[in-house]
Amino acid sequence: MSDEGLDSSPHPPAAASPDRPLLDAIRDGDRKEIARFVDLHADAVYRFVHHRLDRPEALDDLVQEIFLAAWRALPHFRGESEVGTWLLGIARHKIGDYYRDRLRNLDLSAVIDEDSLPESLRIAPTVDERIDGQRREARTRQILSTLPDPYRAVLVWRYWDQRSSAEMAAISGHTEKSIERLLARARALFRRRWNDG
Amino acid sequence: MGNSDEIEDEAFFERLAQAEPSALRAPARLKSRVYSALMREAAEAAPLRSLTATEAAGHRLCVFEKFVQILPLGARLDSVNYCRFCHGRVLGENMDSAPIFWKGCPYADFHRH
Repeated sequence: MSDEGLDSSPHPPAAASPDRPLLDAIRDGDRKEIARFVDLHADAVYRFVHHRLDRPEALDDLVQEIFLAAWRALPHFRGESEVGTWLLGIARHKIGDYYRDRLRNLDLSAVIDEDSLPESLRIAPTVDERIDGQRREARTRQILSTLPDPYRAVLVWRYWDQRSSAEMAAISGHTEKSIERLLARARALFRRRWNDG
Repeated sequence: MGNSDEIEDEAFFERLAQAEPSALRAPARLKSRVYSALMREAAEAAPLRSLTATEAAGHRLCVFEKFVQILPLGARLDSVNYCRFCHGRVLGENMDSAPIFWKGCPYADFHRH
């Protein structure tokens, strides 16, 4: 794991954070406060990761990994931000790790040459404002689920996790050009399915 | 693809991605799993705060912890993670609405909220 987003050197607390008593009790092995910590923050972490992940089946493991990473980083937490914000920083970092591994394990070249792009695909899609958010979300997720894994991964990482192509390239180890080509293909296929629906 | 199409594409996908669901909550069994993982980690790192100190800090012990606490087991065994051996943990980690009803149990609390 890289260290982006995780403060790796021990520091004294910068200021008296309102979260400090809870964190001190957790570090002291207070079992009930550990439960309170989970109960207080699990929903926000879960929502954050759920929104940014291309595979629901990876969600639980990733959320657990984020809390474990937070536990290990607790001695280095300076209290400069709220615990919730700090946790989401760790989550963002872990999501980057997840996509790095994901793109490393997928055969990107196989899908890049998979289909051609006829002129008919170049019709720009629109978001119908009359469709309510819930239906649009359901339809978006449904179409994403039909895309090949690499397409879905780059689309969700790019737009739902709001990463630039340059960041995606730097984290995944692929060239920016190959990421952009993959994104273009993924957008085209998504668009075709959106317009067909 | 021309530049204007690319811009429209960007706007389209950004529009689709902007709605983060606000009502979504972590399932109780996931909270249970995360809690168990943190407890494992905490217990491996150092002895947990003793049951006596936990109670003195104002927390309610579960019926099993209370039972262990009154046995003459010594200070070391007062700091063991007894949830590891409890069927409440197994139910909490594996069921959506686990039938755990006793008070002072974090797994029961996750499933009650």
